[in-house]
Amino acid sequence: MSRLIDTGLEQLSRLLFKMGDLAEKTVSLSLDSYMEGLEVQDKVRVWSETLVALSEQVEEKAIEIIARYQPVASDLRIIESYMKIAYDLSRYGRYAWDITFIYKRLNVNSADCMFPSLPIKELKEKVQDIVHTSIEAVRKSEIDLAKKIGEIENEVDAVYYECLDKLVEQDRITTKCLITNLLFIRHLERIADHASYIGESITYLVTGERISLRGRMSNES
Amino acid sequence: MSYKIEIEDLNAWFGNNHVLKDINMKIRENAVTAIIGPSGCGKTTLIRCLNRMHELVPGARISGRVLLDGRDIYSDGVDPVTVRRRIGMVFQKPNPFPMMSVHDNVAAGLKLNGMKDKQRLDKTVEKSLKLAILWDEVQKELDKSGASLSGGQQQRLCIARALAVEPEVILMDEPCSALDPTATAKIEKLIRTLGESYTVVIVTHNMQQAARVADFTAFLYLGELVEYGDTSTIFENPRNKLTENYITGKFG
Repeated sequence: MSRLIDTGLEQLSRLLFKMGDLAEKTVSLSLDSYMEGLEVQDKVRVWSETLVALSEQVEEKAIEIIARYQPVASDLRIIESYMKIAYDLSRYGRYAWDITFIYKRLNVNSADCMFPSLPIKELKEKVQDIVHTSIEAVRKSEIDLAKKIGEIENEVDAVYYECLDKLVEQDRITTKCLITNLLFIRHLERIADHASYIGESITYLVTGERISLRGRMSNES
Repeated sequence: MSYKIEIEDLNAWFGNNHVLKDINMKIRENAVTAIIGPSGCGKTTLIRCLNRMHELVPGARISGRVLLDGRDIYSDGVDPVTVRRRIGMVFQKPNPFPMMSVHDNVAAGLKLNGMKDKQRLDKTVEKSLKLAILWDEVQKELDKSGASLSGGQQQRLCIARALAVEPEVILMDEPCSALDPTATAKIEKLIRTLGESYTVVIVTHNMQQAARVADFTAFLYLGELVEYGDTSTIFENPRNKLTENYITGKFG
């Protein structure tokens, strides 16, 4: 027998899954375009703003469900987790948008700031992987995918620090190019962090346990 | 925190109907413990076993032990009347003595216990009504009939009556089920306050009420204790699938 709360929870899931699809598309477009030096600022801004609007809808719906049905146990955990995840997905959009105007803001030519010795492409692919995995974890509420997020997050961190170290070692890099690369890898690292938060929320949703998927790197202070 | 009541291997029957099955449960002193579960699961029977009221029903019997401060209330030589003085009860429907005034309703138990000194009686009545957060509303109408009060006031009068004989444990059997939300809110606040200095056990159908007032919650199903623990754990992350299904309204 379906319960009154089920309709609300289904609406909440639909909103979140819609956000997930859009967030992954937004991150991919932004990252791919950055690597190719393409201008996608306007499109990504619209998508990012849509993500924020959807995240507000998730919040409103969640509050309505709490007020109307006083959810407990797994229902309550779903709502708490979905509210957090909606925020994380909106942050994907925001970082994706920030990435789109790095070149313009610093007035640099993308090709001039690409350094083959930096594993930036690898970092970008890992971040796309972690974003994809996080969206899958949300859609399937699967604990194994949440664990996988933790593993990719460690890899992202490792490549991020490698990029940082190599950036510092770069000879004859202009300040503008240094900042360009620094901003990009920093945004990527932040996106991966939000993927970890999503993994943690899914773990809480499924098991009721609050865990941290973010491993501390030895060179992190 | 220590345990006020320890229930050991408790079984209860109405005739051949086995309504409580091997209940083992320790109830914390000076805390509120809620018992939840679907109709007929044995909630009311369980609390009626805690002050020997179950045995008042013809054909009803129990096995097992109920320790109050370490002593079995069912052991030989224990006077059930003394047990019921130490463990008071408030019922689902407010039941003030209809022919008695507000004052006399509260004083009834004291008089029954032989208290005759009017000054002491008056003092205890005032103290009990204050504890039940009713004094301010009735202090000028103590001679009025108890039955003339509103439903919520009547229930607080019954709580004052239970408190007057200075019990150590207060059992409440769905004390708000006949009350409106405002009266319910007052009783719930009172339950929280009482829980600071009394051991309170409340049976409720209303899970949100258990979540609001109880420090600990027990879930009973078909006469068995399925899960018992911190209220926050039971309502956020219950360990047992049956508890999960019941509190989320998937059955019951």
